[in-house]
Amino acid sequence: MILQNAIADVLNNTEWAFALAECVHIGGFAIGVGSIALVDFRMLNLGLRHETAGRILRYTEPWTLFALVFVIFSGFALYMSQVDIYLVNLIFPYKMYVLVAALIYNFTVHRKVATMENPPPLMSKLVAIVSLLLWVSVVFGGIFTGFLV
Amino acid sequence: MAIAHYLQNIDWLVEFSESVLAYPIVLSIHLTCIALFGGMILVTDLRLLGLTFKSLTITDVVTSLRPWKRVGGTVMIAMGLPLAACDAEKYAPNPFFWTKMITLGLIGVHALIFRPIVYSRTEELDRSPVIPTKAKVAAILSLGLWTTMFVMGRLIAYWD
Repeated sequence: MILQNAIADVLNNTEWAFALAECVHIGGFAIGVGSIALVDFRMLNLGLRHETAGRILRYTEPWTLFALVFVIFSGFALYMSQVDIYLVNLIFPYKMYVLVAALIYNFTVHRKVATMENPPPLMSKLVAIVSLLLWVSVVFGGIFTGFLV
Repeated sequence: MAIAHYLQNIDWLVEFSESVLAYPIVLSIHLTCIALFGGMILVTDLRLLGLTFKSLTITDVVTSLRPWKRVGGTVMIAMGLPLAACDAEKYAPNPFFWTKMITLGLIGVHALIFRPIVYSRTEELDRSPVIPTKAKVAAILSLGLWTTMFVMGRLIAYWD
């Protein structure tokens, strides 16, 4: 409660803090989702074909993790600044369900198939499409949280 | 201001800005492109700086992502136009919006300068034992310009 008040106080009463938190949140997801999408594009055979999906995953995974930490912390701060609004929001809970699903999927199925030596091409493509759909849904969920109150 | 007033009152833009679904969908696509397209710009620039993807040549990274960056950029701008036009009277005096547009113009200038000497000559860069300074300069400027573009885009909402 005290933490929530302190965070809400800073974000609501300083001119730049909310804007900064939003920039970190959106910039973070751009890098996080963007780096996952690079692996997906490779799995779909659409780019970076001179390297395996597994190697691309290894290159990008540190950025993904780093960015997701920023997204989640800034997102938590934004949530804390207006808890009452989020608690009654119709879309927000769905965004959270999809986010949890996307995170679990990313570090289990997606990671496993991306790093396989010779995954069946169809499986690889399917896994990449589901990954892109999940993350795009989280982005849509975020925007709709702001529009359908 | 007259132009802004005219734009904002075009029938379909009025409908667009009042719609429950169309406006947030277009905004979501605009943001999704930032993520997909932003990741590709980041990889390209970091590769030019020699910081990542070293097992791929600069040529591989630049040429295989180029068509997708074009698609992403086109969709992003196509979605951005109605978003700005339907609220033209609010955007017209907004300094963050104009800074964003100037940055977009500078990105065009960056392309004009560096495409012939860096992005179209990646094989030469790959042959060079160290990555030439011009490529690193292009990458750093690109990262700076795109970051400015992104931050200004977000700040548009904070001016009144």
